[in-house]
Amino acid sequence: MLRVQELVTAYGKIEALKGVSLEVAQGTITCLLGPNGAGKTTLMMTIAGVLKPKLGTVSFLGEKLSGLAPHAIVARGIALVPENRLVFPSMTVLENLRAGAFQRKDDFDADIERLLGRFPRLKERSAQLAGTLSGGEQQMLAVARALMSRPKLLLMDEPSLGLAPLVVEEIFAIIAELHRDGTTIFLVEQNAHMALKVAHRFFLMEQGRVSFSGDPGSLAEDEVIRRAYLGSSRN
Amino acid sequence: MALIDIFQNTLDGLTAGASYALLGVGFTLIFGVLRRANLSYGPAIMLGAYAATWVSLHTGAGLLVLFLVAVLATVLAGSYVERLCFAPHRRGPAAAAMVASFAIWMQLEELATLLLPRHLYAFPALYEGGALHFGPFSLRVESLLMLLAALAVCFVGWKALYATRFGVAVRAVIDDPRAAELSGISVGAISLRVFALASAIGGLTGFLIVASHEQVTPMLGMWSTLKGMLAMMLGGLGSLPGAVVGGLALGLIEAHSQWYLGPQFRDFIAYFLLFALLAARPPWMNTRSAY
Repeated sequence: MLRVQELVTAYGKIEALKGVSLEVAQGTITCLLGPNGAGKTTLMMTIAGVLKPKLGTVSFLGEKLSGLAPHAIVARGIALVPENRLVFPSMTVLENLRAGAFQRKDDFDADIERLLGRFPRLKERSAQLAGTLSGGEQQMLAVARALMSRPKLLLMDEPSLGLAPLVVEEIFAIIAELHRDGTTIFLVEQNAHMALKVAHRFFLMEQGRVSFSGDPGSLAEDEVIRRAYLGSSRN
Repeated sequence: MALIDIFQNTLDGLTAGASYALLGVGFTLIFGVLRRANLSYGPAIMLGAYAATWVSLHTGAGLLVLFLVAVLATVLAGSYVERLCFAPHRRGPAAAAMVASFAIWMQLEELATLLLPRHLYAFPALYEGGALHFGPFSLRVESLLMLLAALAVCFVGWKALYATRFGVAVRAVIDDPRAAELSGISVGAISLRVFALASAIGGLTGFLIVASHEQVTPMLGMWSTLKGMLAMMLGGLGSLPGAVVGGLALGLIEAHSQWYLGPQFRDFIAYFLLFALLAARPPWMNTRSAY
């Protein structure tokens, strides 16, 4: 569904991605693990069009995406839930959801109702400003906002970051639920334990390259966790 | 009677403040969406007023035509500024766009003086009759129109920003441009439309100002930029209702300090207040979006 080939993205002269290739199959939850600074967020930002790659391509359903602006990539069916959520703080929960549906020409009120039904805490706070929500609620809002564009592929960048364990459980339950409803999910996670429980396939990234890929059972979990947090080269 | 003076000054201050509020709203729209100060906002308004004056001198057209010319020319000048100064510097340092807008300011002033070389031109009066009198108070009809226009723009602007799809997108861009792009909103397209909208408000304001003063000079450009920026800053940088309050407050401060301290203190007090505000940075002042 999503194919990334030999992707190189640089900040000035420093290459954060040094030729990344990977694939996300339709209908799966695919997880990207790796230590801080491995380039996971850079990869997500490059797929979403916020960063422009120096070399390589990103293609989605057979169409080349690299070079398109982020709003054009949303139009093609990819939505990113960015790291640190980035909700619109001075807008209400409801307005955040409407902003997520900006490109849709059809009537989306039913979708808002459906999403608020799925996230009851957002429903209670639908008239509240997003900036006043708790971290977990903001994360749910960021996910719901991304879903308002009705993406075929949902990218999520560390949705559990800075959240309490119970809230993390809740977020992962939502991820599993979204997948059951037919959304393909490509997830960056630091929480390798939780990620391996839901993922069908995972990639390990270290220092700008994919160093391992496989099914969750193909590498012992403690080895994955060791490499995801520390990187293999540093032991 | 001191009380009558206070009341009349307040009335005068509010009518001057209404034009500042309009300029402040235009400035804030642009600053909010682009996070860049557009020094050429006033000069674009001045050019619009000059275009209307030129049409008036050459054709003797009526006020409605002059109004349309002023708005159209301001929107054109504003879009020119956007394409030249702001579209290329959307990601670069804020100072680059600001300096570029200063260069365009000079260009627009040159253009105005080429169009109409004398320093001062008469502009048809908005209203020929005298002032309205309510007991001891008087109010010029032009001022009343300015107040009404400010109220109408605020009402329509409020509705547009808080009750339409376009408004949701504009506020999303103001809140977080990157998250707006990721939500499918084209920041470039929204910026250009906001620029055009702010320029239209500027054109309306410029027309009302020159038609109620019945004259136009190239100084209108700098005057509009300064008053608009002051209103925006007094209102807390980046808040539209704040800009309206800031503009009205500026008008009131000017009217009262002129009456009690003398005309030479009029601008001094306003700028001193701005300095004090910037130095003290009260919590309602939004310094997050400035640079």
